[in-house]
Amino acid sequence: MSGMDPAVRKETGYIALWVILLSVMMEAVFLIIRKWDLSVLLGNLGSAAAATLNFFLLAWTVSKALDKEQPKQAAQRVRATASLRLIGLGAVCALLIGVAHTNVYATLIPLLFPRIALAFRPMKDRNRAPAAAEEEGSDLID
Amino acid sequence: MDISMAVGLMLGLLGLGAGIAMIAGIGPGIGEGNAVAKACEAIGRQPESKSDVTSTLIMGCAIAETTGLYALIVAILLIFVAPGSFVGLLKDTVNALK
Repeated sequence: MSGMDPAVRKETGYIALWVILLSVMMEAVFLIIRKWDLSVLLGNLGSAAAATLNFFLLAWTVSKALDKEQPKQAAQRVRATASLRLIGLGAVCALLIGVAHTNVYATLIPLLFPRIALAFRPMKDRNRAPAAAEEEGSDLID
Repeated sequence: MDISMAVGLMLGLLGLGAGIAMIAGIGPGIGEGNAVAKACEAIGRQPESKSDVTSTLIMGCAIAETTGLYALIVAILLIFVAPGSFVGLLKDTVNALK
């Protein structure tokens, strides 16, 4: 883990933060509509953890693949792991719903939280861009 | 055709539908692979841009992966949720016709 790209840690942290925030919001919605029970909480926890782990594995694979010299090797590595990650995610969801009898919707909705987090990503970059430009400008004046 | 055969046929078709939905899971892997291959070439040409390319590529791959997740969600809904509602609907229809 010490040789991990800093971008992987940063992006996974950003996604994990959003997944936690959106999970809390989803639990609140279930409470408001009076559908909350332990199966909702268990499904949300399991699925949110799986979604974050999936994103981390994706980021790690991509950063490791970029270290490879041959683009063809890098592409093959990413293609193989993409299928494995999807199968793993499906297996986790099937186990949660089929064996642990968690709420189906509370289990499936958190899988889309990383995508929602990415939709809000340009907002963060937009806020950062003027600050970076200002910093660059002051460097030029110096 | 009796009701049990109709239910069996319906469950089989739902399973088939889930399998067909999962075909969409193949596409993101191919797309991500192509994106990573091109990023490798770009880093080979400009090694100093590696951190920027990595960050952007991770985001791009995550967005591409969403298509596969949609397929997975549809497949799980077809396997776990649809049988209950469709079988109930079928039984209600048969009872109404009798």
